[in-house]
Amino acid sequence: MNDKILNFSIRYGFLILLFGLIVYFSIAAPGFFGPLSAAFVLQSVAITGILALGVTCTLVVGGFDLSIGAVATSALMLSAYSMVILEHPAIVAVTLCLGMGALVGFINGLLIVKFRVPDLLATLGMMFLLIGLQRIPTQGNSIATGMTLTDGTVAEGTFSAAFLWLGRHRFDVVIDRLLPMPVVIFVAIAVLIWLFLGFTRHGRLMYAIGSNARAASLVGTPVNRYKVVAYMISGVTASIGGILLAARLGRGDIASGNNLLLDSVAAALIGFAVLGAARPNAFGTAMGALFVGILLQGMTMMNAPYYTQDFVKGAVLVGALVFTFYLSSRRTGTRH
Amino acid sequence: MLRRHFMALASVASLALGAGAATAQDAPAPLDNPGDVTIALVRYLSTGDFFQAYLSGVESQAAALGVNLRVLDSRQDAALQADMVDQAIALGVDGIIIQHGLTESMREAAQRAVDAGIKVVAFDVNVENDAIPQIEQSDYLLGKLALEQAIADNGDNFAAGYVYVPGIAPLDRRHVAWEEVKKANPGITEAARIGTLDNPIANANANQARAALQANPNISVFFAPYNEFAKGVKIAADELGIGGDLSIYSADISTADIALMREAGSGWKATVATNPAVVGEVSVRALALMLAGEKPGASVIVPPTLITQTFLNDNDIRNMEDLGSKMPQFQHADVAMADWMPLPAR
Repeated sequence: MNDKILNFSIRYGFLILLFGLIVYFSIAAPGFFGPLSAAFVLQSVAITGILALGVTCTLVVGGFDLSIGAVATSALMLSAYSMVILEHPAIVAVTLCLGMGALVGFINGLLIVKFRVPDLLATLGMMFLLIGLQRIPTQGNSIATGMTLTDGTVAEGTFSAAFLWLGRHRFDVVIDRLLPMPVVIFVAIAVLIWLFLGFTRHGRLMYAIGSNARAASLVGTPVNRYKVVAYMISGVTASIGGILLAARLGRGDIASGNNLLLDSVAAALIGFAVLGAARPNAFGTAMGALFVGILLQGMTMMNAPYYTQDFVKGAVLVGALVFTFYLSSRRTGTRH
Repeated sequence: MLRRHFMALASVASLALGAGAATAQDAPAPLDNPGDVTIALVRYLSTGDFFQAYLSGVESQAAALGVNLRVLDSRQDAALQADMVDQAIALGVDGIIIQHGLTESMREAAQRAVDAGIKVVAFDVNVENDAIPQIEQSDYLLGKLALEQAIADNGDNFAAGYVYVPGIAPLDRRHVAWEEVKKANPGITEAARIGTLDNPIANANANQARAALQANPNISVFFAPYNEFAKGVKIAADELGIGGDLSIYSADISTADIALMREAGSGWKATVATNPAVVGEVSVRALALMLAGEKPGASVIVPPTLITQTFLNDNDIRNMEDLGSKMPQFQHADVAMADWMPLPAR
């Protein structure tokens, strides 16, 4: 009986908590419950959620990607540079960014599997490298339409309407102009990665690598190739996040995106606890991102200052990790 | 005895004032019932003395009016700041003050707020919207007055360091003054240009300034037109042991800055400032005027004041309160006023 309760709470505890949170804020914070508010929650988690899904793929193979935040801000700067200074159309800018994300992921993967650099250190190094690199073309300046370049000329390019549409368009759902485009992309990527990790042979092999790389390689899995692919997925999703950020801002702003890394890693780690998975999974990551988004939106509406929000975010993360690792170890313990 | 006379005089004066402004007590709707009015302050920049003082001004004027205040702080996250405007709309606030931010990210969010029937004012960010008055310190004048003092102190022939981060509206406007002064005075050269808004701002700029000063020992004047920048330059100069040889001219002021300017051997010679608390008060008053259906005008400009190290020392000014009492023009700006407008108690 006790085992049943324990199993139930491990499996559904997090989702019940999420539901309870929604009910609580709906009662306590006027204006929280409604389509408008829901759209804002989704919008605020869309970009970090996309990054978190990428990081989930690297967690699945037993790795970690610290460079996602920097990849996203690099994509932000690169898309702005490509459109405003090089005057490319939107499609070229987007392609460049996706290519950059894939390349960074590929290099990360090579550093890790070929040069045997530990994943945390390799991606940490890449993070610093990118933070510097993205500012070199403009000498550390933000990129805006009509900016003066170092040679004294004025940048003629603009953010094209098609590009801005990616970040700013809102679909008419229930109310006019409600559902932002980044949310649609977030949901699409979440479904894709969920299907890929959970329901394809490749996904299962990636989980196998994560739980025991040696065993996986002994049965003939190309472990290194899958690891590199995982980092490339992470790089590409991070660059998608950066593209959406650029499209929302309409400017290559060097100060934006500082919090992307921590928030998205938190979402992915909280995701471990969802449905008692005790392992990285796309559904959990999406729920984790949503959980943080709802918590922050609700607390903001109840006038809580930002530092208490950081505190609560940290407390939730620690709680989720304890939940995952302690309770799950007890559950597996009772099985034996 | 004297005291009692004074008290009598004061009460007569207040009676007279009260009689003259009999209608003044009755604020127009919806401010006649301020408990039902909520305004939101949506911030882009918040670390630093200037922004704390600004917030305190917003708080005290909101309290004087009796309205509820919500503070939403995006901490330099431009996308989050736009989200926060949406949050404020969802909260159903009556008025929004947008404090700093980027034109590109805030323009549409501000428009959405206006579309939702919310009154909006913007401080130091141009959201390109006719329905939104701009609250401004005259940043151009801030820069100009500081540079005029620099020329008065150092002549018109010196190598200067300059702190600038492009794309931040107030810094861009101060930058115009710097470009003008350089053009008008060929003897003034820009030997080094630094600048970052990474947090903590003073510290990040100190690192850059130290490198610039080491590389260019001929720099005798530093134009750092924002107090966190000036703080950074001062830290660097002190660390290099050249605090006395370098003259720093800046804009904005706070209690901490006063202490730094008055330190023995401090190179921080002058600053030009509008009292950030007053700017905060003016922001709320302008918003209150709009809520009451009056028009504060397309731009509400709060005039700046020159504050020199000498003035601070001569008058033994220790904090912003002292400064306010010795410099009345610093304590209150007579803009965005109405007969019915309650002012914060002093």
